[in-house]
Amino acid sequence: MRFEFDPAWSLEIEGEDTERARVHSALLSLSGGGIGTSGGALLVRSKSVPWLFVDGIYDGTGPETQLLAGPVLSGLYLDVAGARLRRILDMRNGLLHERIGDEASGTALIRFVSLARQGILATRTVLTGSESRAAACLSAEAGHVIDEGATEDATWMRVAGSAGGIVAALCETSSSRVIDDVVAVEADSDAQPDPKLALGRLADAAGDGFDTLLEEQRRAWGERWEGADIRIAGDDQLQQATRFALFHLIGSAHENGESALGARGLTGSGYRGHVFWDADVFVLPFFAATQPAVARAMLEYRIRRLPAAQESARGWRRRGARFAWESARSGRDVTPSSARDRAGNLVPIRTGQLEEHIVADIAWAASHYIDWTGDRAFARGPGLALLVETARYWASRVRLDADGSAHIFGVIGPDEYHEPVDDNAFTNVMARWNLRRAAAAVDEARGVDDGVGPEEPTSWRTIADAIVDGYDETTGVYEQFAGFRGLEPMLIESVAPRRPIAADILLGSERVSSSQVIKQADVLMLHHLIPDEVRPGSLAANLRYYEPRTAHGSSLSPGVHASLFARAHDSVRALSSLGIASRIDLDDLTGTTAGGLHIATMGALWQAFVFGFAGVRPRANSLTIDPWLPEGWSALEIRVSFHGGRVHLRTTPDDLHVESDRPTAIEVDGDVFVATPGGLRFRAGTSGWRVIS
Amino acid sequence: MEGDLVTRVIACIDNSAAARPVLEGARAIAPLFGAQVEAAHVTESDESADTTTAYTANVPLRTLHGETVDELVNLTQDQEVVAAVVGARGRPLGRQPAGHVALELADRAAALLVIVPPDARVREPIQRVLMAVKGTATNARSLERAIELTDVKDIELVVVHVDDEENIPSFSDQVQHETDEFIREFLARYVPAAPAARVALRIGRPADEILDTIDAEQPDLVAIGWRRNAGPDGGLVAREVVARSHVPVLLATVS
Repeated sequence: MRFEFDPAWSLEIEGEDTERARVHSALLSLSGGGIGTSGGALLVRSKSVPWLFVDGIYDGTGPETQLLAGPVLSGLYLDVAGARLRRILDMRNGLLHERIGDEASGTALIRFVSLARQGILATRTVLTGSESRAAACLSAEAGHVIDEGATEDATWMRVAGSAGGIVAALCETSSSRVIDDVVAVEADSDAQPDPKLALGRLADAAGDGFDTLLEEQRRAWGERWEGADIRIAGDDQLQQATRFALFHLIGSAHENGESALGARGLTGSGYRGHVFWDADVFVLPFFAATQPAVARAMLEYRIRRLPAAQESARGWRRRGARFAWESARSGRDVTPSSARDRAGNLVPIRTGQLEEHIVADIAWAASHYIDWTGDRAFARGPGLALLVETARYWASRVRLDADGSAHIFGVIGPDEYHEPVDDNAFTNVMARWNLRRAAAAVDEARGVDDGVGPEEPTSWRTIADAIVDGYDETTGVYEQFAGFRGLEPMLIESVAPRRPIAADILLGSERVSSSQVIKQADVLMLHHLIPDEVRPGSLAANLRYYEPRTAHGSSLSPGVHASLFARAHDSVRALSSLGIASRIDLDDLTGTTAGGLHIATMGALWQAFVFGFAGVRPRANSLTIDPWLPEGWSALEIRVSFHGGRVHLRTTPDDLHVESDRPTAIEVDGDVFVATPGGLRFRAGTSGWRVIS
Repeated sequence: MEGDLVTRVIACIDNSAAARPVLEGARAIAPLFGAQVEAAHVTESDESADTTTAYTANVPLRTLHGETVDELVNLTQDQEVVAAVVGARGRPLGRQPAGHVALELADRAAALLVIVPPDARVREPIQRVLMAVKGTATNARSLERAIELTDVKDIELVVVHVDDEENIPSFSDQVQHETDEFIREFLARYVPAAPAARVALRIGRPADEILDTIDAEQPDLVAIGWRRNAGPDGGLVAREVVARSHVPVLLATVS
């Protein structure tokens, strides 16, 4: 096996040390088809503990609910001391290579989690020289293994969580110096999976053989990249980091049934696999635009938890659906109620009670999916239910004043440094958008038995119009929440030695909550998510006001700001923010990469390229394109799917070329064109883009 | 214990009131090494050694003549000597500045060094050890031996880590998950031999926070990294902890 890889498509890790072993294991983790497994070394005794997780398979209850660790392949290490260890993640083909020893005579290993066949993992070891290896086996945390067994040509092991379980079956074959290990995984969130299912799946895969599985893997990844790749001409390091993010995004969710995308995806145990707004707002757009079936499965996760959200709303004496800030198996809130902070203090955690914008975030995800795909069945079916139930929640949540204005009191916005607050602009405007969008959706779905009374959409529109949003006509700035302007004026550079910085740790929660320092984009998230719902032209004023007050202490912040700075044509700040977002895990900027990769940051990075630099936005009937390149980039290429058409866009500072494999309406500088396989070419002029062919 | 070697912990005493807590400290830590306690008294002049304290404690006393630090350093070079215990400050009317012997020994002793403050309340047996872990590879290496010592049944290891302004993290997403994540990785990186250690996180001035944690946790022994020959500007946190602690402090050294 040759050990040479294109640096733009690969990530190489040399050796394995105690300090970085778990970080490397996360960086090199492999996911696909709803299964994720660690990337720790196999040919040597790894310093990191191996793991395997399955999407949606949890253990425990309440806040203690966590991803159940499944059986892992083990026993592949060789008794060679001091030999050089290299691991290379081949992102183009979804393969992790490992080699012990020198180029000519070293033992090599390839492994992958199949993107083509759900629940299949495969490993090939090629021995050279005199090394020998014991037979591989399955292993798992002792307390969870409920049974194991063997057939004539396979072994299996089953682990149980509090509700469901995971069973893995292993088949090892060898010929000469080549050993192939194929593992089939079967899981069930509600019951113990039958080992026969895994053995049947294994028989099919092992019967086809490693080479067939490998070829399928290469083909499947090739197809994914064809629809999702981003190319940047002019920054090789950013190119590699971007591919790294796309690679892990692609593997993070799947299209089978429902996909519960936790904050770290399937790249580690961090955040216990709990599902946050990260999935709906930061990751879903990537899939909606590149692999819509996966976005649909992510929405299916929410749809199946609609009853739990409705029950929650009733518990809060509201109507509609109130989705959980942290969600796992049942959909009931699993947010812990207290925790130790970095200062060792026990602090109450109120996000589960107060961070209600998650309700509108999920509605936004449903709407965004519809915008990208035009999925009419979803828009008139479960998507409509999501929009209606979330609108009903807000209609029952607002408080009407005697002057007719509507308010939402006692919430936490994306800026979690301030809590609770009244009339948080993000929450209010998202709720307003939610009400209006649901009313429009009901109109669009005329003839569908949606259970919506004729007066409801009118009522939603009336309430939406009455919701205060804190916009100041004089300054053009939205007040983040009622009373924000009265807080201690504070720019982050006056109190912090650097940015990003966790200002709540630096200054303490009391100090930070009494000041204007904020954690991440809050008002500016409106300009990012729903630019049509904010005042036209208000981005620049709000960016000028809020960004200097932003600590960027959330890993979600840099990517969003990169997008906004790109829209504001601020090259320096856009690239600076983009650089941070792109390196968040590669450089372990959070210090927590060992617990899993920041999938939402990766989603925000994708959004920065697509929404920010390419200026691409899905509309009901056309795809808006408004590209702008920062200094240093000579070209940017993106690939998205819009209403079933695969769109390929390439832009330079002077030219824009858009092609689509089927006629697709695009909007450039206010004019609508139809992109075709032959492509449309535009030239930059003083008054905007001019079509030339 | 290494083979049949009879290991010793040396209690470095003098004629001051500090001798008694030093002897008590030596007796408290000796079981961690499976070692016997021996007292050593160095006299630089015609001064006679106060043998009463050692005899009362039923500990053999060795009297040496010469320069104090040189003699004690020589003593620690004996393979059988696994640790030396010394008072934090000089004699009440001593000729050297307070802490001179202790700090010079910290730089030169071949064995581990435990510094006992004169007002220490030494508890025996040692049940709880507080270890200050900075979170660097070098610091972690220096503490490895100290961690091994706590690998004794019924000894609780508490790790204190202090973030000051320089190492405030860049990000803190959801505190209810982030702190656990940080602790898990911190232990895996810097205290791998004791994954079950309890971690106390603090923010502020390191010496103040470590001392505050000592007050809160009431350990029987404190362990802190000590970089040898770092000069007067090096090891400031450890120096301050030694100066202000009311609990014996084990200086874990790295060259």
